[in-house]
Amino acid sequence: MNELDKIPVRQELSVAEGNVKRSNPLANVFDELVRFCQSRSMFMLHYCTGCGAIELPPAMTSRFDMERLGIQPMVTPRQADILLITGYVSVKTLKRIILTYEQMPSPKYVIGICSCTVNGGMYWQSYATAKVLKEYLPVDIYIAGCMPRPEAVISGLRDLMGDIKSGRADNWKRYFQNYDHYLGNQQKLFGEDWQTPTDIIAEAEHYGLMTDQTLGEHTALLQKHQQPLEALEFSLGEKREKIQGENPREKNNE
Amino acid sequence: MHFYELLVELLLMPILAFVIGLAMVLMMRRIGARIQRRVGPPVLQPIYDIIKLYSKETQISHGLMHEIGIIMAVGGFIAAMTLLPVPGMSGLTDKGGAVTLAYMLMIPSLGMALGVGQCANPNGSIGISRALTAMLAYDIPFILVIFGASYVYGTTNLAEMVAIQQQQDVSSWGIVQMPLLALTALLILPATMGKHPFEIYVAPSEIATGPMVEMSGKFMGGLFVMQCFQLYTAGVIFTTLFLGGGVYWITFLPKIFLVVAIPMSVAYLFPRYRTEDVLRLMWKWPMLLGLIGLAVVMK
Amino acid sequence: MTALDYLLLISAITVVIALLAGNMRVGGWLVTILYALQGAALLMMSGLGYSTLTVVQSSLRFNVLSEQMLWRFDALSWFFALITIGAGLFCSWFASGEWGEKYRDNGGSLRLFHGALALNVFTMLVLLASGDLLTLFIGWELVSWASFLIMALAGGKAFNYAMRYISYAFAGAMAVLGGLLLIYAEVGSFDFQSLKEAAPQMQASTLWLLVVLLTAGFGVKMAILPFHLWQAKAYAETPGPGAAFLGAISSRMGLFAFIVVIVQLIGISRLVEMEIPYTFLDAQDLLAWIAVFTIIIPTYIALRQHDARRLLAWHGVGQTGYMLLGLVIANDLGSAGGLMHVFNYASYQAMLFMAVVAVMHRTGTSDLNKLGGLFTRMPLSYLAMLIGIIGLAGLPPMNGFVSKWLIYRSLIVDGSPLLFIAAVIGTLGTILSVYKLIHNIFLGQLRVEHAAVREAPLSMVIPMMLLAAVVFVTGYFPGLVLDWTSAVQASIGLPVLAHHLGGVDMKGGLDMIWIVSVLLVGFGFGTLVFFLGGRSKRVHQLDNYAGGHFLTAETRYHYSDNFYPGLMHLIGPWYRNSFEWLERGVISAVDILSTAMQGLYRNAHPSYLLLVAVVFALSWVIV
Repeated sequence: MNELDKIPVRQELSVAEGNVKRSNPLANVFDELVRFCQSRSMFMLHYCTGCGAIELPPAMTSRFDMERLGIQPMVTPRQADILLITGYVSVKTLKRIILTYEQMPSPKYVIGICSCTVNGGMYWQSYATAKVLKEYLPVDIYIAGCMPRPEAVISGLRDLMGDIKSGRADNWKRYFQNYDHYLGNQQKLFGEDWQTPTDIIAEAEHYGLMTDQTLGEHTALLQKHQQPLEALEFSLGEKREKIQGENPREKNNE
Repeated sequence: MHFYELLVELLLMPILAFVIGLAMVLMMRRIGARIQRRVGPPVLQPIYDIIKLYSKETQISHGLMHEIGIIMAVGGFIAAMTLLPVPGMSGLTDKGGAVTLAYMLMIPSLGMALGVGQCANPNGSIGISRALTAMLAYDIPFILVIFGASYVYGTTNLAEMVAIQQQQDVSSWGIVQMPLLALTALLILPATMGKHPFEIYVAPSEIATGPMVEMSGKFMGGLFVMQCFQLYTAGVIFTTLFLGGGVYWITFLPKIFLVVAIPMSVAYLFPRYRTEDVLRLMWKWPMLLGLIGLAVVMK
Repeated sequence: MTALDYLLLISAITVVIALLAGNMRVGGWLVTILYALQGAALLMMSGLGYSTLTVVQSSLRFNVLSEQMLWRFDALSWFFALITIGAGLFCSWFASGEWGEKYRDNGGSLRLFHGALALNVFTMLVLLASGDLLTLFIGWELVSWASFLIMALAGGKAFNYAMRYISYAFAGAMAVLGGLLLIYAEVGSFDFQSLKEAAPQMQASTLWLLVVLLTAGFGVKMAILPFHLWQAKAYAETPGPGAAFLGAISSRMGLFAFIVVIVQLIGISRLVEMEIPYTFLDAQDLLAWIAVFTIIIPTYIALRQHDARRLLAWHGVGQTGYMLLGLVIANDLGSAGGLMHVFNYASYQAMLFMAVVAVMHRTGTSDLNKLGGLFTRMPLSYLAMLIGIIGLAGLPPMNGFVSKWLIYRSLIVDGSPLLFIAAVIGTLGTILSVYKLIHNIFLGQLRVEHAAVREAPLSMVIPMMLLAAVVFVTGYFPGLVLDWTSAVQASIGLPVLAHHLGGVDMKGGLDMIWIVSVLLVGFGFGTLVFFLGGRSKRVHQLDNYAGGHFLTAETRYHYSDNFYPGLMHLIGPWYRNSFEWLERGVISAVDILSTAMQGLYRNAHPSYLLLVAVVFALSWVIV
């Protein structure tokens, strides 16, 4: 059993740096409250890519009942806080996963369930499978196993709750801060004209999450291909805009 | 009445409505859980959800109307709450009666519909189209009930209706005076709340929760707040029309919780109705009962 | 000269100026100013609207066959004239700027357009000023022809629809003429007063004939059932602001004549005495039910339209029903509601048509399946349409709510549950249909071809915004309009509604000042609650949930066609076009009859004709 304990189950990306205390004690209390509520109310989007999905229904329904922990299934990425990826991730699926992830509002958390998301699992030799999920998205928790039982799933979710409560679960910031790194890995897999209809760089700018790692050679490549994705602004006068997104390259994604 | 007293009432009524609504949401989720043999959410779960949604660090908006739509949805309900009489407070019930209330309650829905439209997601628009169709289905029997009650009490003022029902014991309650109309109202109650089995406009697995499809963060939070008001309104209207309304909170609260609990307990037992079946159902039995009830009260 | 003389004179001058200078750049503005002058002349008579003045005579009067023909204004005429001139002013303003230039560039004759509009206003004022039944009929005919002129302007399809209108109008005019002759035969005079005195003594059978003839005649103009078929198409095809004008006020002339003859002179109480044998209905119930079906059927026809102008025009037909219903109920609440609805409806219907015309001006189409997402491009037109649809649907805080509330409340007081439910069914159908209207034009996905669309020019936006202000302010302070309707009620002998600035004093009354204030404060709190949440970022419309699909501008991600499939699944088979069938049947019958007549007169043999005549003559002599 001692050997098992040594296997890391959590991707230790952030070293307790997220828990920055504000000087105002009232603000601290407020932050604590918010973090507590965030940990006690998690809406989850289960992207059921593989066999691990079969363990979720028992975890949600009467046997284990996730709702008593405040965890509810949700339907669209807009509503969700956690993205559950339950099984092997093929290249084609990964595109959808990335789009889904980018459409989720932050703070957002990714949970990789099953061995396949850790290292490709039994699909290690497959030509069409993305092996290591954390290369493409910042994963907060892995729940290893083939497949993990509902108890393990719930235990993993409780670990995530603990992380959120203590402020350690801020991997979603890494996606903005190191966007160039993640985009590079994505481009390696999908080709250099890869893009989604979401605009991560603009979002990072809007929320002040830019670092020197956000932009780089890969984002330069993206911006070369990408039509700028600005929101539709009001126009009362002569201003003429071109509608965006008429990008023939996006059709290549199929 | 003193002007400041009225002002305090107007402030207090929406706040109370929200708090009671939170408890009703909790009750609804607990009932659902118990029917499915689950434990259900903890007591403060509705608050956690709302705080979490409002505190999202990135919020996705689809434009000005999306934002105004949510403001209208919440603001419209806040305003409508002042027309619902509760124990000790009658707010603006003398400035606009049951008919005004019925139309005021469409403002939040209109706001939500406009906001959803701006999201440019056809799932949302389909959801709104279904929700409006469902409104056409249940509002006709609902307005029939309002007519019957106004006719029997001789006023559309909700506070006066409460006063009339309180003149004697239970025998002067609306449910005794017009049992058929009360039954009609009870039948359409789950549809007015938009819950199972009448939540075709949400239909998560089909149109991705319809109106909520693009709602994130505080937009979704606004809809959660709206749901609290919705449940509260349904409970109070029924209680005011048929169960003698409220004179003391201690009797009023059990009544409104009971009213909301009844359809909730039945709801989870049925599968969803399709839109046209909602229409057919609502226009058949509640209409028939309501018309007979109306004929009885009008002799 | 009296104020009425000035009014009619300025109105006539407007027609002349419009015909002379209409094509010039300043022509439209000149005409607009003249409308404003007409308004000023009307305001000289504003005592009529507040019961301080009972009647304003015109100095024009003459005698024909010992019958005096005279023109004068009372409170009712003043109220309707106010709406007419207001609609004329705003529509002409709307047409004077860029819209007019484009219309002229596309080959339309602006001179004719302005001329026809001014002629409509003038003839309507003449009708409104009529002081006896003869002048009423003359005004009636003038109005019919003037509206034919403006409807037929666009030519082609519009001309066909206008022809259809004029055949209905002819039939209606004949019915009115028949009614008037009957009155003359019974009363011996065309005077209003003598009819009013004679009405209580008339026999029930005569009265029935009279009511049927006059209601049918005036009903054609109002497009009440079963004469509703002509209106929507004819109005929808009228060029731009002309449609707004016609939609707002033109068919109200039928209601005006109905009020004058049936409500004021014959009296609703007389109708109540006229029972229909073997039923428990009387003539008032019959009219109320006609009104209610006029609400329901056209409203649900509107729900199926996919052209914005047709949709609005069909709603126009439906809203007539509310006015008629309120006036037929004829208690203080109902008649105030019906009269107020005339004003309210005109204000938002003109604005809605203008918003649609503005969209057409920019995009070139009013097809609801070819638009979408224009909110970011035309926000002010959107605002106008939003306020307009809230009014049309009859929701607070707009003025449409107040008039509908009065009508509902009168039905509750009257104890007519079925009429009440039917009226509400109409309102619910309106809500469905107007959401479709605003959603398909302004919400949803913006099409690629509309990316460069701009807001309509100021000359079109300002009239819309002013009308929006009217809709909101008279919703906030309905007492402003209720003052005028009370004056009208007093002048036509109906019970007067006790009201104040905010609404109605009664048990279970209404105070819109409180309701709207609390709604606005509620929105304020809603905004506060909204800004409690974190900062939001606006995203591009293609950054949207599509089940993981990558959206591109080529993907049409919008829901517009067959907007209410669930509802249509159930009620779709109920649309049977029965009235179209009926109309076609009547046309065929008339066609056969006229062919037979033609055969008899022209082609066939005069000897047969002679034979027939001789046989008849002989039989008459012998028997």
